[in-house]
Amino acid sequence: MNFLKKLLPQVATEVQQLSRSGFHTSSVCCRVQSGRYRITTKRNRPLTYEMANPPHFIGHRKSWNSWNTSTMKDALRPSQTAIEDVFIRKFVTGTWHALVCSEVIIKRQHNTIRIAALIRQAITPRKMYFLIGYTEELLSYWMQCPVTLELQTVGDKKDVVFKYI
Amino acid sequence: MYLSRQLRLLPRANIACSLSSSGAHYTTAAPAEDAPIEIPNRIERSPTDLLQALASTVARDYTAPHYKYHDDPFLIPMSNAAKRTYAMSKESGRKAAKWIKEEHRELFMHQEAQPAIEKFAPSMVYTEDSVVDETSLAQLISQGELKDAVLVYNLLEQKGNPISPELKQSLLELVCFHNNQEPIPEEYIEERWFLQNNKRRERSGKTWKDGDLAEKLYSEIEPKTPQSYASLIRGMAKYLQCERAYALLQEAGEKQVQLDTNTFNSVIEIVSFLKDTAEQRWQLCKDLLNEMSQQKLRPNLGTLNAVLQCISTFGNFKVARAAALQALPEFKQLGVNPSLGSYYYLLIIFCRERGPVSHVIVDILNDISGKEFQIQHPKDTYFFATAMDVCRNHLHDKSLAKKVDELLHTGKNYDLVGDSFKESIYYRNYLALLCQTESTEDFMLSYDLLVPNIYIPEPGIMEEILRAIEINGAVEYVPRLWSDMVVFDHTHRESLLLYVLRILVDNKPNPDSPAQAQLPEQGAKVALDMFERVEEAIKRLRKVSFTGQMLGDILTLLVRGGSYEKATEVFAHIDKNQHRIPGTPSLNALIEFVDASVQEKSPSQALFALQYAVENNFDSRELAKRIHEGFTLNETHLSKLKSLVGESFLDK
Repeated sequence: MNFLKKLLPQVATEVQQLSRSGFHTSSVCCRVQSGRYRITTKRNRPLTYEMANPPHFIGHRKSWNSWNTSTMKDALRPSQTAIEDVFIRKFVTGTWHALVCSEVIIKRQHNTIRIAALIRQAITPRKMYFLIGYTEELLSYWMQCPVTLELQTVGDKKDVVFKYI
Repeated sequence: MYLSRQLRLLPRANIACSLSSSGAHYTTAAPAEDAPIEIPNRIERSPTDLLQALASTVARDYTAPHYKYHDDPFLIPMSNAAKRTYAMSKESGRKAAKWIKEEHRELFMHQEAQPAIEKFAPSMVYTEDSVVDETSLAQLISQGELKDAVLVYNLLEQKGNPISPELKQSLLELVCFHNNQEPIPEEYIEERWFLQNNKRRERSGKTWKDGDLAEKLYSEIEPKTPQSYASLIRGMAKYLQCERAYALLQEAGEKQVQLDTNTFNSVIEIVSFLKDTAEQRWQLCKDLLNEMSQQKLRPNLGTLNAVLQCISTFGNFKVARAAALQALPEFKQLGVNPSLGSYYYLLIIFCRERGPVSHVIVDILNDISGKEFQIQHPKDTYFFATAMDVCRNHLHDKSLAKKVDELLHTGKNYDLVGDSFKESIYYRNYLALLCQTESTEDFMLSYDLLVPNIYIPEPGIMEEILRAIEINGAVEYVPRLWSDMVVFDHTHRESLLLYVLRILVDNKPNPDSPAQAQLPEQGAKVALDMFERVEEAIKRLRKVSFTGQMLGDILTLLVRGGSYEKATEVFAHIDKNQHRIPGTPSLNALIEFVDASVQEKSPSQALFALQYAVENNFDSRELAKRIHEGFTLNETHLSKLKSLVGESFLDK
């Protein structure tokens, strides 16, 4: 809350009063690991732009991976949506084996699901179209709603590398 | 009130259009104040009306590929073959997913959607041991599942369950409609779109299955109802069991069975298979129509089209025209409005290759331009391709073609373009006509609009375009077209390659015109590109190979474009492989090469050329003269020159 103190003096005094009342005494445990990558000794771990930004930059430097309204007040099926999203991610990365080189972004609008990802140009366009048709159709059987793939392709895996750590 | 007025316009009119046209209602504040407010009645709307209204505001985007393709440079198809393969691969992926669903049905039994959507669940499987009853048969028939319906019917038969005559009748209708063959499922639209014209091949022969389930069902229905007669006759007529269909119709007539209009239509359609000459066909057609009028049957659009189809098969032009002119007013009196299919038949009746020139299409277009059509008859999709064909081959009229194109882009008329085959015929004729009749600048505007997203020219049309460009003397477009040809995969057509080179060589760029200032360098680039591509193709054992003329033209273009280095390489290729290459470069190509060698001061190259010319029995005096005058030759070169053309030459 330090930044608040600098901004508004009157808030700062209130904060001081609050802290004086002392309802929190234990030391702060902020260590979080998820979404952060450890530096390697050789500094050769490739990171995409999204990987390079830790989770607290979501909404600032990068965006959400799942877009839906299931966690709003009175919204429907929050848990199912989360599980389905995990399933979609596993399905897409498995079906497009060793081809997906970004996060899989899942957007839900009304009854449709749009799935976006970056794909490596390692197979012919013809095979890609087969996989597009297959993924869309099978996921729509599973989710029982229209599913659209919105893929972009990149020539090389290195094209998406933002930095090495 | 404003809103409701807009809503009434929604399903048909373009929103943008209606907003601008009635904009006065809310921008100016001067409506008649004492006019009573009139609340219009509520209009029933379907769930998709709003979506359709929104969709009508968006037209086809010429700059993007069709939306069935993925919007990514790597995935955008660039040739006709790629367009077809990509769309079909996607559909094949969908089929694979469906197969997985059916194969692992236990995984897809969950119900997410409310209400449940049948298509997402695995379909019911009927086997020999299934417990079935009449209701399941009725359900299968209503879903149009032919194979399962037949299976269930057989099961019911085996178990001796009674089947009501009504159910038998509807099964008979289903079996007759499909000729007891599983049709292509409706959801595979690409397969239908790219289906090559199989229909025409089918048309020639009988495909009806004699003594199959349909006839068994028919014999089981007792007493015979008019419906059972009708379905069997229609089935036989559709699958060209003509004799028996007609015999059955006569039998029904003798037994005083009241048939319906569509059954008569189906028999009129096959009159051409029953009789041989035009007179006999027309007689039979008239007899059938008379029979209809005796039975007090009202003819409909199907009758009109069937009669016109029958007339269109007449070999004699005069008889056909007279019959058509006789039939049309009668149908008009009966209040039958022709569909696009009827106009299609009129076009093929009146505009024949060997017949006199007919302008019937002008009248037709005056009649229907600006109208929006919906599909009413299977032949409606043939109209646009045929109309454009008439515009190009029969009348050769640009303005008519533009009118046809305008009609095609009116409202939802584009839905009636048919399939990929007809669409490509349409654009083939359209572009070929435009390139012959329009100036090159105007033509290139249409070309840029249509190519490559709407239509990719076939090699034949590319040749037409090149010819038109040569005639108009607009050689500056050739390098552009060459790059298009590379993209469209036309580079293995030897005639096209030769033609491109021919145009570039024969039409020396005019240095005064700014458009052609770059042309020599571009020409050299084209030539070099072609050289490399053909070399590559030969390595891969493709169809194309070098000819002497092609190499000579490439040589000339490289020399003209100032790439002397590359020209020497090409010449070395010619020289080295002269036994493998059929034909020789023209003498002019060699002369230009020698001239360039003189300019570049490289006598050894010039002497190589001379040697080649002597070895291939050219008239080498011209070359030798140029070399002798152009260079001050040293001893070795001079002696070589002498040995090639002889002493006597220098003495002159």
